[in-house]
Order: sequence, then structure tokens, then C-alpha cells
Amino acid sequence: MPAQILKVAPRPQPVTAAPLIRFAGVGLSFGRTEILRGIDLEIAAGEFVSVIGPSGCGKTTLLRLLAGLQKPSAGQVSMAGRPLRGPAPDIAVVFQDYANALLPWRTAAGNVALALEARGVPRPERAARIAELLQMVGLGAHAERFPAQMSGGMQQRLQIARCLAQDPSVLLMDEPFGALDAMTRHKLQDELRGIVRRTGVTAFFVTHDLEEAIYLGDRVIALAPHPGRIAHSFPVTLPPQRDQLSTREDPAFLALRRALFDFIQEASA
Amino acid sequence: MSARRHLAWGLASLLVLAMAIGLWSWIARAGLVSAVFLPGPERTWAAIVKGLQSGVLVQQTGQTLRRMVLGWGLASVLGIGAGAVIGLSARARVWVLPLLEGIRPLPASAVAPVAIVFLGLSEQMILVLIAFGALWPMLLTTAHGVASRPARLAEVSRCLGLSRTAYLRKIALPGALPDIFGGLRLGLTVALILAVVGEMITAQGGLGTRILLAARSFRAPDIFSGVVVLGLIGLASNAILSLAEAWLLRWRPR
Ligand SMILES: Nc1ncnc2c1ncn2[C@@H]1O[C@H](COP(=O)(O)OP(=O)(O)OP(=O)(O)O)[C@@H](O)[C@H]1O
Ligand SMILES: [Mg+2]
Repeated sequence: MPAQILKVAPRPQPVTAAPLIRFAGVGLSFGRTEILRGIDLEIAAGEFVSVIGPSGCGKTTLLRLLAGLQKPSAGQVSMAGRPLRGPAPDIAVVFQDYANALLPWRTAAGNVALALEARGVPRPERAARIAELLQMVGLGAHAERFPAQMSGGMQQRLQIARCLAQDPSVLLMDEPFGALDAMTRHKLQDELRGIVRRTGVTAFFVTHDLEEAIYLGDRVIALAPHPGRIAHSFPVTLPPQRDQLSTREDPAFLALRRALFDFIQEASA
Repeated sequence: MSARRHLAWGLASLLVLAMAIGLWSWIARAGLVSAVFLPGPERTWAAIVKGLQSGVLVQQTGQTLRRMVLGWGLASVLGIGAGAVIGLSARARVWVLPLLEGIRPLPASAVAPVAIVFLGLSEQMILVLIAFGALWPMLLTTAHGVASRPARLAEVSRCLGLSRTAYLRKIALPGALPDIFGGLRLGLTVALILAVVGEMITAQGGLGTRILLAARSFRAPDIFSGVVVLGLIGLASNAILSLAEAWLLRWRPR
């Protein structure tokens, strides 16, 4: 995998840097329904944060606040010290419903091109970058296909390629691998972790899959429902270099999986 | 659809056409309707050939075609433009749409006298008449298509940092294209009808004027030749539009 996939300078995983993202006392209500309450969260630049929690507890809503697509009704979300005013190209979002998030009238290449057009990348430079990104998500041979001619998993990978084309410093993902088969999912997990480590992009990753949350994350945030709030923040004490077989057998991995499982059981009860 | 089934359908429709012409010929020859009113296909064909040879019919067809295309083009630009604005803005929909819905049912023929007052029995009057009539289907389908885009794509656009015009050009309008094509198709039919009506009112030449003058002097074959050519124009313009649609909407799931 070429290291220049994302053009941010590679840097080692920063753990002690000043927080890039800060939620301060964030709450959100729709009318009289309180969805999220008292969210305090700091995310360091380059950190990989996984988010888990029972269905409907507010994971997507939390992600939308961070994307600037939703305004908090209490507290403040800030990025790099400035309050977040709305969506920014620097923050890329992989939506849960990939089928609605692609332009059906554009080919795979055309969908990736959209992000480059938005950034004002000159036309001659686009083709090479598009080919590179499609190759990376395993769609190199399908550049001219329309979304309707692709499987769900392929469409999701295409959405990820478009987000990477934004060259973001923050990558928000809402259950991005839910539609993939186990093999592709594992491959993309490794791919994603590689990209994040190489580029220093900050990742916020919502998932239902507890093992995935641990495998990818530097930290796992557990949301409890009614109203949604941060119940626990589990540091992942695994070595940064992960492996699909040995990492998943690591005692630290198994212990954390047990803790998350117990949490979900309790929170869903 | 497979090529074979396509061919079968094509042959079937040709067969129906041949039967209709046969029936027409039989009615004319059996004298069920006086030959003064109903010429058979043979005499109609002869009138077409004569018109083509003298060049008169060619010229008239050209005039009507030009008016139809110009009026339709004008209506498309105005209708899609206004429809996009209305579709994008919820406020515009609340303020303007009821007014437009009130104007829309006015028959174009009722608007003709108004247009005549301002523009006289002129070429411009015909174009305005066509544009007025053909505008509505395009405006309403575009407004509907733009307004009913999935909200997710608007969010994608914001996340990517697309400008409002880029959103309109790259997301809203292409997304509304299936709806817009419905409007273009309806508008084309309306444009042909109003081109003929306008030509009948203004006597500015064209197939409408041909048919009107031929009717006044009981030259039935000339009337029918004009009608046949109009039918062919309708058929051909729709076919061209269908081809364009099939190409531009090739991304749709089949
Ligand atoms: N626009 C809205 N208006 C009112 N309520 C909403 C809205 N969006 C979400 N909710 C509610 O907020 C709660 C949290 O929704 P959210 O989509 O964030 O959950 P989630 O954790 O992502 O669930 P899942 O795991 O099933 O995707 C749900 O109870 C949902 O019904
Ligand atoms: Mg969700």
C-alpha cells in the first residue's frame, strides 16, 4: 500500500497531544424527547475512538453532532479549539445508509471525483487519485460501474473511498462494515487501521460489533440509553500493531470483549 | 428487454399500422364517407409527394418544426430554471406555487388573445403561446424532482463542502432528471399542438396554416397530408427524446 494515499504527512500515533475534538456538556433533545445528555468527551488528534451501545441509544446522533449536521441543544462541540459551526470538508462522514449517500447517476469513479471536484483538485490530477483510492478499497476493476450495478458491500467501500478523497483530518464512520462479509470486513479493518496510522487521521467509529470496536480502537466508548450518555470509556491496552488472528486471542482483547459484552447485556436489559 | 423481443414488438406495431392504413383505404374506397371529406391513403400519399416535389410541404414542415423546437426550448430553459429555484426553496414553494397552480389550468388558447394584443399576429406571438403552454409540465416536474431528492444527498453535499450552485448542478438537477424527462415529453406534445394552433390563428405559414387554408377550400388530401406529417413529427421527436432519456438515465437500475 503506497504511503501517499492520504497526502497528510505520516506521523507516529500521538496520544498525549492536546485534544482535537472536545464535547463539553453536550445535550440534544428533539422537542421534548431527550436523546443525549451531558456528553463530555475529548479526542486527541490521530486517536481511533470506537463507539458502542445498544440500538437506538444515540450513536448516530452523537456522530451527527460531531459532523456538524446537528446542533446541540446544550453545551458545545469544538474542533481544534473552535466551536463547530456546521459541516466542514475536513470532517468526512461515512453514512450508515450507503445506498442513499451515493449519486446513482455517477459511476464509481464519478462518485469519488465529486469529493475531488468539491476540493478544487484540477482535472488532470483527478484520474490518478481516483484510481488509487478505488484500488485501495478493492474497486479498481469497477471504476465504470454505476452504484445500481454494485453490491451493498461494494457501495459501502465506494463511500469510504469518496470520504478518503476528501483528505479529511477527521473520519466519522457509522457502522461502515455492517453490510460486508467476514473476509472483506477483516481486510477493510486492516486497511482502515493502516490508513489511520499512516496518515494521522482522527477516527470516530460507530459499530455494533464489539470485537471490531476493540480490534480497531485505541479507546472504546460505551453509550447507555435513555437518555444517551457516556457510561464507560475503555482504553484498549493492545499493542498498536494488530493482527486478525493473534490480536483476537490476546488475553487483554478477551478481557475487554467480556467487559463490553457485560455492559451491553446490562444496558439493553 | 432482449433484442429479439424488441424486434417482435417492432413488427407487431408495424402490423397494426398496416392494418389501420388498410382499414382507412377500405373505408375511403367503399364510399362510407364522402371523398370530399375523406381521401384515401393513396390520394393523401399523392398530396405528400406533390408537396415534397414542389418544396412547399418541406418548407411548411420546417417552419412548424422550428417553432415547436424554439418554443419548447424556451419553455425548457424557463421551466427547468424556475422549477429548480422553486424546488430548492421551501419558502418559494409556499409563496409562489399556489399562484402558479392558479395560472396553470388556463388553457393556452385562452391566453392567445392576450398574446395577440401585445405581440400581434406574429412569429413571436406563436413562440410565446408555445412557451406558455409547454412551460408548466417542465416547471412542475422539475420543482417536484428537485424538492424530493433524498435528504441524505443534501447532507453529503454539505459534508463535501459543495457550493449551492454546485449542489444544484451536480446533485439536485441530475437527481431530478427522471422527473424532468416526464415534463420534457409532455411539453414536447404541447409544443407541437400549440405550434399548429398558433399557425392557424396567425396564418404565418407552417403546417397549421396549410391545414387551415386547405380546409377552407375543401382540399381534403392537403389537410390529410398535413396531419400525417404532424403525426410523423410527433413520433420522431418522441423517439429522439426517448433515445436521449435512455442514454442519460442509463444509471437507473433495470
Ligand atoms: N430526527 C429525529 N427526531 C426525533 N427522534 C430522533 C431523530 N433521530 C433520531 N431520533 C431518536 O434518537 C434516538 C437515537 O437515535 P440514533 O439513530 O442516534 O441511534 P443509534 O444508536 O445510532 O441506533 P442504531 O444502532 O440502531 O443505529 C432514537 O431513539 C431515535 O428514535
Ligand atoms: Mg445508528
